[in-house]
Amino acid sequence: MKNEIFSGQRFWTYFKYDLVQMWRNHVKAAVGIGLAGLIVYFVVVLFNLTFNGTWQGPGITGRFFTFFLASFALELYYTRIYGYLTDKRKGSAWLMMPASTVEKWVSMLIMACIVLPVLFFLASFLVDGVLCALDPTVGKSMVSVLAGGWQSFVSALTDVNDEYTLTLNVAPLGWGILLSTWANLLYFLLCGICFKRNKILGAFAIAFGLSILSSIFMSSFSLSLVEDMQADNIAMAEANINRIMVWANALSAVFAAALVGGIFWRLKTLKH
Amino acid sequence: MISIQNLSFSYGSKGVLKNITMELKGGNIYGLLGENGVGKTTLLTLLCGLKKPQTGTIDTDGRAPYDRQPGLLAEQFYLPDEVAPVRNRARQFGLETGRLWPKYEQAKFLSILREFEVDENQRMDKMSAGQLKKTWIAFALACNARHYFLDEPTNGLDIPSKSQFRKAITRYTAEDACIVISTHQVRDLEEIIDPIIILDKEDVLLNASLQQISEKLFFDYSNTLHANALYLEQTPAGAIQVYPNTTGGESKVNLEALFNAVHAHKDVVKALF
Repeated sequence: MKNEIFSGQRFWTYFKYDLVQMWRNHVKAAVGIGLAGLIVYFVVVLFNLTFNGTWQGPGITGRFFTFFLASFALELYYTRIYGYLTDKRKGSAWLMMPASTVEKWVSMLIMACIVLPVLFFLASFLVDGVLCALDPTVGKSMVSVLAGGWQSFVSALTDVNDEYTLTLNVAPLGWGILLSTWANLLYFLLCGICFKRNKILGAFAIAFGLSILSSIFMSSFSLSLVEDMQADNIAMAEANINRIMVWANALSAVFAAALVGGIFWRLKTLKH
Repeated sequence: MISIQNLSFSYGSKGVLKNITMELKGGNIYGLLGENGVGKTTLLTLLCGLKKPQTGTIDTDGRAPYDRQPGLLAEQFYLPDEVAPVRNRARQFGLETGRLWPKYEQAKFLSILREFEVDENQRMDKMSAGQLKKTWIAFALACNARHYFLDEPTNGLDIPSKSQFRKAITRYTAEDACIVISTHQVRDLEEIIDPIIILDKEDVLLNASLQQISEKLFFDYSNTLHANALYLEQTPAGAIQVYPNTTGGESKVNLEALFNAVHAHKDVVKALF
Protein backbone atom coordinates (compact mmCIF):
# COMPACT_ATOMS: atom_id res chain seq x y z
CA MET A 1 0.00 0.00 0.00
CA LYS A 2 1.42 3.37 -1.04
CA ASN A 3 1.98 6.20 1.38
CA GLU A 4 -1.21 8.29 1.41
CA ILE A 5 0.61 11.53 2.25
CA PHE A 6 3.51 11.53 -0.18
CA SER A 7 4.63 9.00 -2.76
CA GLY A 8 7.50 9.92 -5.08
CA GLN A 9 6.03 7.99 -8.00
CA ARG A 10 2.55 9.47 -7.60
CA PHE A 11 3.98 12.96 -7.13
CA TRP A 12 5.99 12.64 -10.33
CA THR A 13 2.89 11.53 -12.25
CA TYR A 14 0.90 14.46 -10.87
CA PHE A 15 3.75 16.93 -11.37
CA LYS A 16 4.04 15.99 -15.05
CA TYR A 17 0.28 16.49 -15.40
CA ASP A 18 0.48 19.88 -13.65
CA LEU A 19 3.44 20.93 -15.77
CA VAL A 20 1.60 20.08 -18.99
CA GLN A 21 -1.46 22.04 -17.86
CA MET A 22 0.76 24.96 -16.85
CA TRP A 23 2.48 24.85 -20.22
CA ARG A 24 -0.79 24.73 -22.12
CA ASN A 25 -2.63 27.39 -20.15
CA HIS A 26 -0.19 29.82 -18.53
CA VAL A 27 3.35 29.63 -19.85
CA LYS A 28 2.44 31.59 -22.98
CA ALA A 29 0.94 34.34 -20.82
CA ALA A 30 3.92 34.48 -18.43
CA VAL A 31 6.39 34.60 -21.32
CA GLY A 32 4.14 37.09 -23.10
CA ILE A 33 4.24 39.40 -20.08
CA GLY A 34 8.01 38.94 -20.07
CA LEU A 35 8.11 40.13 -23.66
CA ALA A 36 6.59 43.48 -22.72
CA GLY A 37 10.03 45.04 -23.21
CA LEU A 38 9.90 44.15 -26.89
CA ILE A 39 6.57 45.90 -27.37
CA VAL A 40 7.78 48.98 -25.50
CA TYR A 41 10.95 48.97 -27.62
CA PHE A 42 8.97 49.10 -30.87
CA VAL A 43 6.58 51.74 -29.52
CA VAL A 44 9.49 53.98 -28.45
CA VAL A 45 11.35 53.49 -31.75
CA LEU A 46 8.18 54.27 -33.71
CA PHE A 47 7.52 57.31 -31.54
CA ASN A 48 11.04 58.65 -32.06
CA LEU A 49 10.96 57.97 -35.77
CA THR A 50 7.64 59.78 -36.11
CA PHE A 51 8.31 62.83 -33.97
CA ASN A 52 12.12 63.15 -33.88
CA GLY A 53 13.02 61.49 -37.14
CA THR A 54 15.69 59.41 -35.42
CA TRP A 55 16.09 55.74 -34.61
CA GLN A 56 16.27 55.69 -30.84
CA GLY A 57 15.28 52.77 -28.56
CA PRO A 58 14.29 53.06 -24.89
CA GLY A 59 17.05 53.78 -22.39
CA ILE A 60 17.92 51.73 -19.35
CA THR A 61 15.52 53.61 -17.05
CA GLY A 62 12.58 53.04 -19.37
CA ARG A 63 13.44 49.39 -19.79
CA PHE A 64 13.76 48.84 -16.04
CA PHE A 65 10.47 50.63 -15.54
CA THR A 66 8.85 48.34 -18.11
CA PHE A 67 10.39 45.32 -16.42
CA PHE A 68 8.98 46.31 -13.01
CA LEU A 69 5.56 46.96 -14.53
CA ALA A 70 5.69 43.56 -16.22
CA SER A 71 6.68 41.93 -12.90
CA PHE A 72 3.67 43.55 -11.30
CA ALA A 73 1.44 42.32 -14.13
CA LEU A 74 2.81 38.80 -13.56
CA GLU A 75 1.94 39.07 -9.86
CA LEU A 76 -1.63 40.04 -10.75
CA TYR A 77 -1.76 37.16 -13.22
CA TYR A 78 -0.98 34.78 -10.35
CA THR A 79 -4.58 35.16 -9.16
CA ARG A 80 -5.51 33.24 -12.32
CA ILE A 81 -3.05 30.38 -12.53
CA TYR A 82 -4.87 28.23 -9.97
CA GLY A 83 -7.91 30.49 -9.68
CA TYR A 84 -10.02 27.82 -11.36
CA LEU A 85 -10.00 25.86 -8.11
CA THR A 86 -12.82 28.04 -6.82
CA ASP A 87 -14.90 27.15 -9.89
CA LYS A 88 -17.32 24.37 -8.96
CA ARG A 89 -16.81 22.32 -12.12
CA LYS A 90 -13.06 22.64 -12.56
CA GLY A 91 -12.31 22.75 -8.84
CA SER A 92 -14.28 19.57 -8.17
CA ALA A 93 -12.45 17.75 -10.95
CA TRP A 94 -9.11 18.90 -9.52
CA LEU A 95 -9.96 17.90 -5.96
CA MET A 96 -10.98 14.42 -7.11
CA MET A 97 -7.68 13.74 -8.87
CA PRO A 98 -5.86 10.87 -7.19
CA ALA A 99 -2.93 12.70 -5.62
CA SER A 100 -2.55 13.76 -2.00
CA THR A 101 -3.02 17.37 -0.91
CA VAL A 102 0.70 17.50 -0.06
CA GLU A 103 1.65 16.36 -3.57
CA LYS A 104 -0.67 18.86 -5.23
CA TRP A 105 0.60 21.60 -2.92
CA VAL A 106 4.30 20.90 -3.56
CA SER A 107 3.68 20.81 -7.30
CA MET A 108 1.78 24.10 -7.09
CA LEU A 109 4.67 25.75 -5.19
CA ILE A 110 7.23 24.52 -7.74
CA MET A 111 5.13 25.94 -10.57
CA ALA A 112 4.51 29.24 -8.82
CA CYS A 113 7.91 29.85 -7.25
CA ILE A 114 10.26 28.34 -9.85
CA VAL A 115 8.79 27.42 -13.24
CA LEU A 116 6.79 30.54 -14.10
CA PRO A 117 9.16 33.14 -12.55
CA VAL A 118 12.20 31.56 -14.23
CA LEU A 119 10.45 31.59 -17.61
CA PHE A 120 9.33 35.17 -17.08
CA PHE A 121 12.82 36.40 -16.09
CA LEU A 122 14.41 34.44 -18.93
CA ALA A 123 12.01 35.96 -21.46
CA SER A 124 12.51 39.48 -20.07
CA PHE A 125 16.29 39.43 -19.90
CA LEU A 126 16.76 37.46 -23.11
CA VAL A 127 14.68 39.90 -25.13
CA ASP A 128 16.49 42.82 -23.52
CA GLY A 129 19.87 41.24 -24.23
CA VAL A 130 19.02 40.57 -27.86
CA LEU A 131 17.70 44.12 -28.33
CA CYS A 132 20.87 45.56 -26.82
CA ALA A 133 23.03 43.37 -29.04
CA LEU A 134 21.15 44.37 -32.19
CA ASP A 135 20.49 48.04 -31.46
CA PRO A 136 23.36 50.12 -30.03
CA THR A 137 21.03 53.06 -29.34
CA VAL A 138 19.49 51.39 -26.26
CA GLY A 139 22.81 51.08 -24.41
CA LYS A 140 23.69 48.43 -21.85
CA SER A 141 21.47 45.44 -21.16
CA MET A 142 19.58 45.17 -17.87
CA VAL A 143 21.64 42.14 -16.83
CA SER A 144 24.96 43.92 -17.32
CA VAL A 145 23.67 47.04 -15.53
CA LEU A 146 22.40 44.89 -12.67
CA ALA A 147 25.78 43.21 -12.37
CA GLY A 148 27.65 46.50 -12.62
CA GLY A 149 25.07 48.31 -10.58
CA TRP A 150 25.37 45.82 -7.77
CA GLN A 151 29.08 46.49 -7.46
CA SER A 152 28.69 50.24 -7.77
CA PHE A 153 25.82 50.16 -5.29
CA VAL A 154 27.99 48.36 -2.75
CA SER A 155 31.06 50.51 -3.37
CA ALA A 156 28.97 53.69 -3.16
CA LEU A 157 27.76 52.71 0.25
CA THR A 158 31.13 51.43 1.36
CA ASP A 159 33.05 54.67 0.65
CA VAL A 160 31.00 57.00 2.83
CA ASN A 161 33.87 59.42 3.27
CA ASP A 162 37.61 59.41 3.58
CA GLU A 163 37.61 58.53 7.22
CA TYR A 164 35.07 55.73 7.50
CA THR A 165 34.25 52.58 5.59
CA LEU A 166 30.73 51.18 5.80
CA THR A 167 30.57 47.41 5.48
CA LEU A 168 27.11 46.17 4.53
CA ASN A 169 26.15 42.54 4.18
CA VAL A 170 25.14 41.96 0.57
CA ALA A 171 23.60 38.51 1.15
CA PRO A 172 20.63 39.78 3.21
CA LEU A 173 19.77 42.25 0.48
CA GLY A 174 19.78 39.49 -2.17
CA TRP A 175 17.72 37.22 0.04
CA GLY A 176 15.39 40.09 0.73
CA ILE A 177 14.66 40.62 -2.97
CA LEU A 178 14.13 36.88 -3.50
CA LEU A 179 11.91 36.45 -0.45
CA SER A 180 9.78 39.49 -1.16
CA THR A 181 9.34 38.41 -4.80
CA TRP A 182 8.17 34.97 -3.69
CA ALA A 183 5.98 36.47 -1.00
CA ASN A 184 4.28 38.74 -3.55
CA LEU A 185 3.70 35.90 -6.01
CA LEU A 186 2.43 33.53 -3.31
CA TYR A 187 0.18 36.24 -1.93
CA PHE A 188 -1.62 36.70 -5.24
CA LEU A 189 -1.71 32.93 -5.75
CA LEU A 190 -3.40 32.48 -2.36
CA CYS A 191 -5.90 35.24 -3.09
CA GLY A 192 -6.63 33.52 -6.41
CA ILE A 193 -7.61 30.28 -4.71
CA CYS A 194 -9.50 31.99 -1.89
CA PHE A 195 -11.72 34.52 -3.64
CA LYS A 196 -14.40 33.18 -5.95
CA ARG A 197 -14.92 36.49 -7.72
CA ASN A 198 -13.08 39.83 -7.84
CA LYS A 199 -9.82 38.08 -7.08
CA ILE A 200 -7.56 41.05 -7.84
CA LEU A 201 -9.79 43.51 -6.00
CA GLY A 202 -9.88 41.23 -2.95
CA ALA A 203 -6.11 40.85 -3.08
CA PHE A 204 -5.63 44.62 -3.08
CA ALA A 205 -8.09 45.14 -0.23
CA ILE A 206 -6.18 42.72 2.01
CA ALA A 207 -2.79 44.00 0.82
CA PHE A 208 -3.83 47.49 1.89
CA GLY A 209 -4.50 46.32 5.44
CA LEU A 210 -1.34 44.22 5.58
CA SER A 211 0.87 47.02 4.28
CA ILE A 212 -0.40 49.34 7.02
CA LEU A 213 0.44 46.74 9.68
CA SER A 214 3.88 45.91 8.29
CA SER A 215 4.81 49.58 7.78
CA ILE A 216 3.80 50.38 11.38
CA PHE A 217 6.03 47.56 12.61
CA MET A 218 9.01 48.23 10.36
CA SER A 219 8.92 52.04 10.60
CA SER A 220 8.73 52.05 14.40
CA PHE A 221 11.55 49.52 14.53
CA SER A 222 13.69 51.44 12.03
CA LEU A 223 13.01 54.78 13.70
CA SER A 224 14.09 53.46 17.08
CA LEU A 225 17.39 52.36 15.52
CA VAL A 226 17.88 55.65 13.67
CA GLU A 227 17.24 57.63 16.84
CA ASP A 228 19.95 55.66 18.60
CA MET A 229 22.45 56.50 15.91
CA GLN A 230 24.88 59.34 16.30
CA ALA A 231 25.76 61.35 13.24
CA ASP A 232 29.40 60.46 13.29
CA ASN A 233 29.05 56.90 14.45
CA ILE A 234 29.38 54.95 11.22
CA ALA A 235 29.92 51.67 13.02
CA MET A 236 26.53 52.01 14.68
CA ALA A 237 24.87 53.01 11.38
CA GLU A 238 26.44 49.99 9.72
CA ALA A 239 25.22 47.64 12.43
CA ASN A 240 21.75 49.15 12.47
CA ILE A 241 21.26 49.07 8.68
CA ASN A 242 22.40 45.45 8.63
CA ARG A 243 20.00 44.74 11.49
CA ILE A 244 17.11 46.43 9.66
CA MET A 245 17.84 44.34 6.57
CA VAL A 246 17.89 41.15 8.62
CA TRP A 247 14.63 42.09 10.33
CA ALA A 248 12.99 43.01 7.03
CA ASN A 249 14.10 39.65 5.61
CA ALA A 250 12.83 37.84 8.67
CA LEU A 251 9.48 39.57 8.20
CA SER A 252 9.42 38.59 4.50
CA ALA A 253 10.38 35.02 5.38
CA VAL A 254 7.65 34.78 8.01
CA PHE A 255 5.15 36.26 5.56
CA ALA A 256 6.21 33.87 2.77
CA ALA A 257 6.07 30.90 5.16
CA ALA A 258 2.61 31.97 6.35
CA LEU A 259 1.48 32.19 2.72
CA VAL A 260 2.89 28.74 1.95
CA GLY A 261 1.04 27.40 5.00
CA GLY A 262 -2.10 29.31 4.03
CA ILE A 263 -2.05 27.80 0.55
CA PHE A 264 -1.80 24.30 2.02
CA TRP A 265 -4.62 25.00 4.46
CA ARG A 266 -6.82 26.34 1.67
CA LEU A 267 -6.20 23.25 -0.48
CA LYS A 268 -6.85 20.96 2.47
CA THR A 269 -10.15 22.59 3.38
CA LEU A 270 -11.43 23.48 -0.09
CA LYS A 271 -15.00 22.21 -0.57
CA HIS A 272 -17.47 22.20 -3.43
CA MET B 1 -18.90 -0.90 0.87
CA ILE B 2 -19.97 2.58 1.87
CA SER B 3 -21.38 2.97 5.36
CA ILE B 4 -23.19 6.16 6.31
CA GLN B 5 -23.89 6.68 10.01
CA ASN B 6 -26.05 9.50 11.42
CA LEU B 7 -24.99 11.85 8.66
CA SER B 8 -26.23 15.43 8.93
CA PHE B 9 -25.51 18.43 6.77
CA SER B 10 -26.97 21.90 6.51
CA TYR B 11 -26.32 25.11 4.63
CA GLY B 12 -26.37 27.69 7.40
CA SER B 13 -29.70 27.33 9.16
CA LYS B 14 -31.22 25.35 6.30
CA GLY B 15 -31.02 21.68 7.16
CA VAL B 16 -30.58 19.35 4.20
CA LEU B 17 -29.65 15.92 5.52
CA LYS B 18 -30.46 14.83 9.05
CA ASN B 19 -29.33 11.65 10.77
CA ILE B 20 -29.06 9.65 7.59
CA THR B 21 -27.95 6.07 8.14
CA MET B 22 -27.60 3.58 5.30
CA GLU B 23 -25.24 1.19 3.61
CA LEU B 24 -24.33 1.16 -0.06
CA LYS B 25 -23.02 -2.19 -1.21
CA GLY B 26 -20.87 -3.09 -4.18
CA GLY B 27 -22.49 -4.73 -7.21
CA ASN B 28 -25.44 -2.32 -7.21
CA ILE B 29 -26.52 0.68 -9.22
CA TYR B 30 -28.37 2.85 -6.73
CA GLY B 31 -30.95 5.27 -8.04
CA LEU B 32 -31.01 8.37 -5.86
CA LEU B 33 -34.35 10.11 -6.33
CA GLY B 34 -35.91 13.12 -4.69
CA GLU B 35 -37.51 16.46 -5.34
CA ASN B 36 -35.42 19.55 -6.10
CA GLY B 37 -33.44 20.76 -3.11
CA VAL B 38 -33.74 17.67 -0.91
CA GLY B 39 -29.99 17.10 -0.95
CA LYS B 40 -29.23 14.57 -3.67
CA THR B 41 -26.21 16.47 -4.97
CA THR B 42 -25.16 17.29 -1.41
CA LEU B 43 -25.22 13.60 -0.52
CA LEU B 44 -23.15 12.71 -3.60
CA THR B 45 -20.57 15.41 -2.84
CA LEU B 46 -20.36 14.17 0.75
CA LEU B 47 -19.89 10.60 -0.46
CA CYS B 48 -17.02 11.53 -2.73
CA GLY B 49 -15.33 13.88 -0.24
CA LEU B 50 -16.01 17.25 -1.80
CA LYS B 51 -17.84 18.24 1.38
CA LYS B 52 -17.21 17.47 5.02
CA PRO B 53 -19.99 15.87 7.10
CA GLN B 54 -21.07 18.22 9.88
CA THR B 55 -22.08 15.36 12.10
CA GLY B 56 -21.95 11.61 11.57
CA THR B 57 -19.54 9.62 9.48
CA ILE B 58 -19.05 8.17 6.04
CA ASP B 59 -16.84 5.14 5.71
CA THR B 60 -15.80 4.00 2.25
CA ASP B 61 -13.80 0.78 2.40
CA GLY B 62 -12.42 1.84 5.78
CA ARG B 63 -11.58 5.42 4.80
CA ALA B 64 -13.25 8.79 5.30
CA PRO B 65 -13.87 10.38 1.86
CA TYR B 66 -13.20 13.92 3.08
CA ASP B 67 -9.60 12.95 3.93
CA ARG B 68 -9.20 12.70 0.13
CA GLN B 69 -6.57 10.04 0.39
CA PRO B 70 -5.19 9.26 -3.06
CA GLY B 71 -5.80 5.53 -2.53
CA LEU B 72 -9.53 6.19 -2.26
CA LEU B 73 -9.60 8.91 -4.93
CA ALA B 74 -8.11 6.39 -7.36
CA GLU B 75 -11.02 4.05 -6.64
CA GLN B 76 -13.83 6.53 -7.12
CA PHE B 77 -15.16 8.96 -9.68
CA TYR B 78 -17.58 11.82 -9.20
CA LEU B 79 -19.34 13.12 -12.28
CA PRO B 80 -21.15 16.41 -11.60
CA ASP B 81 -24.26 17.54 -13.39
CA GLU B 82 -22.29 20.26 -15.16
CA VAL B 83 -18.91 19.03 -16.30
CA ALA B 84 -15.85 21.17 -16.92
CA PRO B 85 -14.87 22.19 -20.44
CA VAL B 86 -11.19 21.46 -21.00
CA ARG B 87 -8.88 23.27 -23.42
CA ASN B 88 -7.73 20.04 -24.97
CA ARG B 89 -8.69 17.40 -27.50
CA ALA B 90 -10.58 14.47 -26.01
CA ARG B 91 -7.90 11.93 -26.92
CA GLN B 92 -5.10 14.02 -25.44
CA PHE B 93 -7.15 14.80 -22.35
CA GLY B 94 -7.52 11.05 -21.76
CA LEU B 95 -3.80 10.47 -22.20
CA GLU B 96 -2.75 13.28 -19.87
CA THR B 97 -5.38 13.05 -17.15
CA GLY B 98 -5.93 9.31 -17.20
CA ARG B 99 -2.39 8.66 -15.95
CA LEU B 100 -3.51 9.84 -12.52
CA TRP B 101 -5.90 6.89 -12.16
CA PRO B 102 -3.83 3.73 -11.82
CA LYS B 103 -6.40 1.50 -13.57
CA TYR B 104 -7.21 3.90 -16.40
CA GLU B 105 -7.33 2.42 -19.93
CA GLN B 106 -6.94 4.76 -22.89
CA ALA B 107 -8.15 2.11 -25.35
CA LYS B 108 -11.35 1.73 -23.35
CA PHE B 109 -11.82 5.52 -23.31
CA LEU B 110 -11.48 5.73 -27.08
CA SER B 111 -13.73 2.73 -27.58
CA ILE B 112 -16.52 4.26 -25.45
CA LEU B 113 -16.08 7.59 -27.25
CA ARG B 114 -16.63 5.81 -30.55
CA GLU B 115 -19.76 4.14 -29.16
CA PHE B 116 -20.96 7.56 -28.05
CA GLU B 117 -20.13 8.91 -31.52
CA VAL B 118 -17.84 11.59 -30.12
CA ASP B 119 -14.86 12.68 -32.21
CA GLU B 120 -11.73 11.93 -30.16
CA ASN B 121 -9.85 14.71 -31.95
CA GLN B 122 -12.35 17.42 -31.13
CA ARG B 123 -11.43 20.02 -28.54
CA MET B 124 -13.52 19.58 -25.42
CA ASP B 125 -14.14 23.31 -24.96
CA LYS B 126 -15.66 23.39 -28.45
CA MET B 127 -18.02 20.48 -27.85
CA SER B 128 -21.76 20.74 -27.30
CA ALA B 129 -22.97 20.14 -23.73
CA GLY B 130 -24.09 16.61 -24.63
CA GLN B 131 -20.81 15.70 -26.33
CA LEU B 132 -18.83 17.08 -23.41
CA LYS B 133 -20.92 15.08 -20.96
CA LYS B 134 -20.41 11.91 -23.00
CA THR B 135 -16.66 12.52 -23.10
CA TRP B 136 -16.55 12.81 -19.32
CA ILE B 137 -18.74 9.71 -18.91
CA ALA B 138 -16.39 7.78 -21.21
CA PHE B 139 -13.41 9.02 -19.22
CA ALA B 140 -15.06 8.09 -15.92
CA LEU B 141 -15.78 4.57 -17.10
CA ALA B 142 -12.24 4.19 -18.48
CA CYS B 143 -10.85 4.97 -15.01
CA ASN B 144 -12.15 1.56 -13.85
CA ALA B 145 -13.13 2.89 -10.45
CA ARG B 146 -15.00 0.90 -7.81
CA HIS B 147 -17.28 3.72 -6.68
CA TYR B 148 -19.12 5.99 -9.08
CA PHE B 149 -21.15 9.00 -8.03
CA LEU B 150 -23.04 10.29 -11.03
CA ASP B 151 -25.15 13.42 -10.72
CA GLU B 152 -27.85 13.63 -13.39
CA PRO B 153 -25.70 11.79 -15.96
CA THR B 154 -28.39 11.78 -18.65
CA ASN B 155 -29.06 15.52 -18.48
CA GLY B 156 -28.16 17.04 -21.82
CA LEU B 157 -27.96 13.70 -23.62
CA ASP B 158 -30.08 13.10 -26.71
CA ILE B 159 -32.34 10.02 -26.97
CA PRO B 160 -29.80 7.67 -28.62
CA SER B 161 -27.13 8.77 -26.17
CA LYS B 162 -29.31 7.87 -23.19
CA SER B 163 -29.57 4.35 -24.52
CA GLN B 164 -25.81 4.27 -25.17
CA PHE B 165 -25.24 5.46 -21.61
CA ARG B 166 -27.36 2.66 -20.15
CA LYS B 167 -25.45 0.08 -22.18
CA ALA B 168 -22.07 1.58 -21.28
CA ILE B 169 -22.76 1.77 -17.55
CA THR B 170 -23.69 -1.90 -17.39
CA ARG B 171 -20.99 -3.10 -19.77
CA TYR B 172 -17.99 -1.07 -18.66
CA THR B 173 -18.21 -1.11 -14.88
CA ALA B 174 -16.91 -3.90 -12.66
CA GLU B 175 -19.42 -6.33 -11.22
CA ASP B 176 -18.54 -5.31 -7.68
CA ALA B 177 -18.70 -1.58 -8.44
CA CYS B 178 -20.94 0.57 -6.29
CA ILE B 179 -22.68 3.12 -8.49
CA VAL B 180 -24.91 5.87 -7.17
CA ILE B 181 -26.89 7.78 -9.77
CA SER B 182 -28.84 10.86 -8.82
CA THR B 183 -31.57 11.61 -11.32
CA HIS B 184 -34.88 13.23 -12.05
CA GLN B 185 -35.09 11.38 -15.34
CA VAL B 186 -36.33 8.10 -13.87
CA ARG B 187 -37.59 6.83 -17.20
CA ASP B 188 -34.10 7.16 -18.67
CA LEU B 189 -32.61 4.90 -16.06
CA GLU B 190 -35.35 2.67 -14.69
CA GLU B 191 -33.97 -0.31 -16.58
CA ILE B 192 -30.64 -0.17 -14.79
CA ILE B 193 -31.13 1.30 -11.31
CA ASP B 194 -31.72 -1.04 -8.42
CA PRO B 195 -31.99 -0.44 -5.42
CA ILE B 196 -33.92 2.80 -5.16
CA ILE B 197 -33.23 5.52 -2.59
CA ILE B 198 -35.82 8.26 -2.24
CA LEU B 199 -34.70 11.30 -0.29
CA ASP B 200 -37.03 13.78 1.33
CA LYS B 201 -36.30 16.93 3.30
CA GLU B 202 -33.82 15.79 5.96
CA ASP B 203 -35.00 12.20 5.61
CA VAL B 204 -34.68 8.98 3.62
CA LEU B 205 -38.16 7.86 2.64
CA LEU B 206 -37.15 4.64 0.96
CA ASN B 207 -34.03 2.54 0.48
CA ALA B 208 -35.01 -0.78 -1.03
CA SER B 209 -34.30 -3.07 -3.94
CA LEU B 210 -36.85 -3.46 -6.72
CA GLN B 211 -37.60 -6.94 -5.45
CA GLN B 212 -38.31 -5.65 -1.94
CA ILE B 213 -40.48 -2.90 -3.42
CA SER B 214 -42.52 -5.33 -5.52
CA GLU B 215 -42.95 -7.56 -2.48
CA LYS B 216 -44.42 -4.71 -0.46
CA LEU B 217 -46.19 -2.69 -3.13
CA PHE B 218 -48.31 -3.78 -6.07
CA PHE B 219 -48.24 -1.84 -9.32
CA ASP B 220 -51.58 -2.39 -10.98
CA TYR B 221 -51.92 -1.40 -14.62
CA SER B 222 -55.63 -2.36 -14.88
CA ASN B 223 -58.48 0.10 -15.02
CA THR B 224 -60.21 -1.33 -11.95
CA LEU B 225 -59.87 1.10 -9.09
CA HIS B 226 -58.42 -0.42 -5.91
CA ALA B 227 -59.87 0.77 -2.60
CA ASN B 228 -56.44 1.03 -0.87
CA ALA B 229 -54.62 2.72 -3.73
CA LEU B 230 -51.83 4.95 -2.47
CA TYR B 231 -51.49 6.51 -5.87
CA LEU B 232 -53.55 6.52 -9.02
CA GLU B 233 -52.71 8.03 -12.36
CA GLN B 234 -54.68 7.94 -15.55
CA THR B 235 -52.51 7.79 -18.65
CA PRO B 236 -53.44 7.57 -22.33
CA ALA B 237 -52.36 3.93 -22.21
CA GLY B 238 -54.50 3.17 -19.16
CA ALA B 239 -54.21 3.60 -15.41
CA ILE B 240 -51.40 2.97 -12.94
CA GLN B 241 -52.24 2.27 -9.32
CA VAL B 242 -49.93 1.58 -6.44
CA TYR B 243 -51.21 -0.15 -3.33
CA PRO B 244 -49.84 -2.40 -0.57
CA ASN B 245 -49.13 -5.88 -1.86
CA THR B 246 -51.24 -8.03 0.44
CA THR B 247 -51.60 -11.00 -1.91
CA GLY B 248 -47.93 -11.56 -2.72
CA GLY B 249 -48.55 -10.97 -6.40
CA GLU B 250 -45.76 -9.96 -8.76
CA SER B 251 -45.75 -6.67 -10.65
CA LYS B 252 -43.34 -4.49 -12.56
CA VAL B 253 -42.22 -1.48 -10.54
CA ASN B 254 -42.99 1.84 -12.18
CA LEU B 255 -40.53 4.33 -10.74
CA GLU B 256 -42.57 7.45 -11.39
CA ALA B 257 -45.65 5.92 -9.78
CA LEU B 258 -43.50 4.66 -6.90
CA PHE B 259 -42.02 8.12 -6.36
CA ASN B 260 -45.42 9.78 -6.35
CA ALA B 261 -46.92 7.12 -4.08
CA VAL B 262 -44.06 7.46 -1.61
CA HIS B 263 -44.43 11.23 -1.54
CA ALA B 264 -48.20 11.11 -1.16
CA HIS B 265 -48.10 8.61 1.71
CA LYS B 266 -44.73 9.01 3.40
CA ASP B 267 -45.69 7.46 6.72
CA VAL B 268 -47.50 4.50 5.18
CA VAL B 269 -44.56 3.67 2.93
CA LYS B 270 -41.99 4.13 5.72
CA ALA B 271 -44.02 1.77 7.91
CA LEU B 272 -44.14 -0.79 5.11
CA PHE B 273 -40.36 -0.84 4.70
